[in-house]
Amino acid sequence: MSENNDLTQIETSELLVIIHEDLYDGLADEVVQSVNELLRRGMSPYETLTQGLVAGMDVVGVDFRDGILFVPEVLMAAKAMKAGMAVLRPLLAETGAPSIGTMVIGTVKGDIHDIGKNLVTMMMEGAGFKVHDIGINNDADKFIAAIREHKPEVLGMSALLTTTMPYMKTVIQALEREGLRKEVIVLVGGAPVNAPFAEAVGADAYCRDASVAVTTAKARLEERRNAVPV
Amino acid sequence: MSRNLEGRARRAGRAAAQQPLEKQRIRYELPVYDMLSPESVERLHHASMRILSEFGIAFYDAESRDILKSHGARVDGDIVFFDPEMVTACVAKAPSVFTQLARNPENNIPVGGNAVNFAPVYGPPYVLDADQGRREAKLEDFINFVKLAYLSPYMHHSGGTVVEPADEPVETRHLDMVYSHIKYSDKPFMGSVTSAENAADTVRMAEILFGAEAIRENPAVISLINVSSPRRFDDRMLGAMKVYARARQGMVITPFILSGAMAPVSIAGTLAQQNAEALAGIAFAQMIEPGTPVVYGSFLTNIDLQSGAPVFGSPESQMGLYASAQLARHYGLPFRGGGMFTSSKIPDAQAAYESVMVMLPAIMARTNFVLHAAGWLENGLASGYEKFVLDCEILGMLHTWSKGLDLSDEALAMQSIAEVAPGGHHLGTEHTMRHFRTAFYRAEMFDYNSAEVWTEAGSEDSFARANKRVKKLLASYEAPALDEARDEALRDFMARRKAESPKAS
Ligand code: B1M
Repeated sequence: MSENNDLTQIETSELLVIIHEDLYDGLADEVVQSVNELLRRGMSPYETLTQGLVAGMDVVGVDFRDGILFVPEVLMAAKAMKAGMAVLRPLLAETGAPSIGTMVIGTVKGDIHDIGKNLVTMMMEGAGFKVHDIGINNDADKFIAAIREHKPEVLGMSALLTTTMPYMKTVIQALEREGLRKEVIVLVGGAPVNAPFAEAVGADAYCRDASVAVTTAKARLEERRNAVPV
Repeated sequence: MSRNLEGRARRAGRAAAQQPLEKQRIRYELPVYDMLSPESVERLHHASMRILSEFGIAFYDAESRDILKSHGARVDGDIVFFDPEMVTACVAKAPSVFTQLARNPENNIPVGGNAVNFAPVYGPPYVLDADQGRREAKLEDFINFVKLAYLSPYMHHSGGTVVEPADEPVETRHLDMVYSHIKYSDKPFMGSVTSAENAADTVRMAEILFGAEAIRENPAVISLINVSSPRRFDDRMLGAMKVYARARQGMVITPFILSGAMAPVSIAGTLAQQNAEALAGIAFAQMIEPGTPVVYGSFLTNIDLQSGAPVFGSPESQMGLYASAQLARHYGLPFRGGGMFTSSKIPDAQAAYESVMVMLPAIMARTNFVLHAAGWLENGLASGYEKFVLDCEILGMLHTWSKGLDLSDEALAMQSIAEVAPGGHHLGTEHTMRHFRTAFYRAEMFDYNSAEVWTEAGSEDSFARANKRVKKLLASYEAPALDEARDEALRDFMARRKAESPKAS
C-alpha cells in the first residue's frame, strides 16, 4: 500500500488484510504504519502480532514452500516483519505477553560456509524471532558468551564440513558444563548433517532447511512452554 | 604348432591389442573459443581493479595483512586495498606453465598452455553405488576412488579429497589421504588445505617421496585454496597458502561463487568479483614467493533463487566458464574450471546432461586443470562409483576430439576412395585394414547393439553396466610398486604424527 491512504479511515479487518499484503510485498515502512495504527485503536500488542504480522508471514512461508515466492522476496518480507516486530517487542514485554522467541545462531569453529545460516536467519526473522547472528567460525566460548548476553530460547548451529560437524558436540558439552544446556533448544543444520548425527551430538533436533528450522523452533518452544514444570 | 593353435594365438594377440589403455596426454589442438571481445575483457579487468582498489578484500590473518602491507597494499582493519599496477606486477611473476611431478615421471603433467588435465571429484562426504546406496564415506572408499582414477587412462591426476573419509579421526585423516594417493597411485595428487599444520605435513610427505630439492624446482603437490566469496580469505586457507607458497608448491586459487548469494545475480558482476578475488590471492602468493606456481581457478555457478539451493550445470555457469578461462589467458595464467557437475542425486539423465553441458565449455575454453572431471553427484555431497566410470567414458571421447582433425594424406585416404567403385564398400580396403581397430572411439559403457541382442543380454542400462565395470576394475587393480625405503619413511612419519595428535590414545 504505497498510496498515501489515510489509515485512520480504514476498517480494522481491512487494515489487517493490508498488513498481510504489505508484508507479502516487503513494504517495511507501510507495515510499521499499520501496526502503529492498530495499536492506536487499542488492539493489544499480542493480537496485533498474531492477527497482523504472524498471519501475514504464514502466507509468505506457504508461498515460499510452494515455489511461488523467490528468496529475495522472502528476504524483503522478513525485513518488513522485523520492522514491525521492533515496534511490538517492547510492548509485548511490558504487557507480559509471550514473545515469539529469541535465537542465537552461528557457524561452528573452522567453518566459514554461511549462506545456509544466513537463509535460516532470514526465515526465523520472518517468523518473528529475534535472531542474534554471531557469524562464522565460532568456538564454544563465543557461543556461551552470546547465550549469556542474549538469553535465547533457541541456539542454532550450522556446519557444512564433516571435519567441523563434530565441533557441535564440543559446544553442547560446554553448554552442559556451564549449566546452560537446559536453557536452550539446540537446533543443528548444514548440508552433510542428518538426524542421527544430531542425536549423537546431543542436539534437540536436526533441521533440513530454513523452513524446517522455523517450524521445528516453533514446535519445540510450544512444547516447552506447555510442559509442566517439574 | 598346429595351424589351429597358431590361429588362436593370433586371435588372442588381436584381442590384447584391442585394449586401448595407453596413457594419454591431452594437448588441445582445436581453436579456443573466445566468447568475449578484447574490449569486453578490458571492461571486466577494469571493474575488477575497481573492486580491488576501492572496495577491498578481507584477509582474516594478521601476518598475511602484514605481508600485503609491506608490498604496498593499503590495510584498513581486515580489509586490504590493492593498487592496480601492484596487482598486475605481482600476477606477472606467476609462471604461465609449470610441471607437476608424479612419482612415475611418465605421469608428470604440464599445467598451462595447451595442456588439458583431468582430476577426480573433490570433497564429498558421502558415496553412492547401486549395491549399497548412499552412505558415509570411509577410507576404504577413498582408496577405491584413488584406484579407479589410477586405472583410467583418461584421468591424468589422482586428485585430493576424492571422498571425505569419516571413519578416520579429523586430526589425522589428511595423513591417510595423502599416503593413499602415494601408495595406490603413481599419478600426481593434491595436498591438504584444512590448516597450516596439515599443509606442512603434506609438504613433508612430498619431500620424503621426491626429495626436498626436487620439489622446490617443480611442485609435487597442487592444492585447492578457496576464496570465501564474497571478498574474503579465511585464516585456514591463508595458513595453508603461506605454507605452500613458501615451499613453492602449486595452488589453485579459486573463488567458489554461487551467484545470487555470494555475488551479483548477473554473470558480468560475478565475473568482475571473481576476477578481483582470484587476482588478490594470486598476487598474495607471488608476494610470499615470487614465481610460485598458481592456477587461476573458477568455480562459478548460481543458487536457485526460488529455493536457495546450489545449482550445478546451469547455462549461466557455462557462459561464466568461457569468460573466466579467457580472463585467465589474458593474464597469462593456467586455468582451472569445469567438471562433470550435476545437482542430481543419482547418475540419471539429469546427471548426464548437466555434466556434459559443463564439460564441453570446459574443453572448448581449453581448461588446463579440470577438477571434478569424474564422480560428482548431488551438488558435491556424494561421489558416485558408477558415475565415476561413466564420466571417464566421456573423458575418453573428449580425449579423442581434443586432438583436432587429422588432415594428413593418410587421413584424406584418397587411395581408399579411388579403390572403391561407386556403390561399393570400405570394409576391406587397405586403408581400413591399417586403421580399423583404432579408427573410431568405442565406448564400453554405452550399448550399440540391436534391441534383440540388448534384450537377450538382460536389457541393462548404463547404470547397471557401470556397476559391473567398477567391480571388474577394482578386482583387476594391482598397486604400482613403491620404493620400500620411502614407503617405510612415509609410514614412520605418519605414525609419529598420529602419536603426537591430541586425539591419540
Ligand atoms: C538451526 O540451525 C540450522 C538449521 C538449518 C541449517 C543450518 C543451521 N545451516 C544450514 N541449514 C539448512 O538450511 C539451509 C537453507 O535451506 C541449508 O544450508 P546449506 O548451507 O546446506 O545451503 C545453502 C543455502 C547453499 N549451499 C552452500 O552455500 C554450500 C555449497 C557448497 C558447494 C560449498 C561452498 C559454496 C563453499 N565452500 Co565448501 N561448499 C560445499 C557445499 C556443497 C553443498 N552442496 O552443500 C562443501 C560443504 N564444501 C566442502 C569443502 C571440502 C570445502 N569448502 C570450502 C570452502 C567453500 C567456500 C568458502 C568457497 C564456499 C562457501 C562460501 C560461503 N560464503 O558460504 C573449504 C573449507 C572452508 C571452511 N573452512 O569452512 C573446503 C574444505 C574446500 C577446500 N579448499 O578444500 C565440501 C565438504 C566436504 C566435507 N568435508 O564434508 C562440500 C560438500 C563441497 C565439496 N564437494 O567439496 C540447509 O543445510
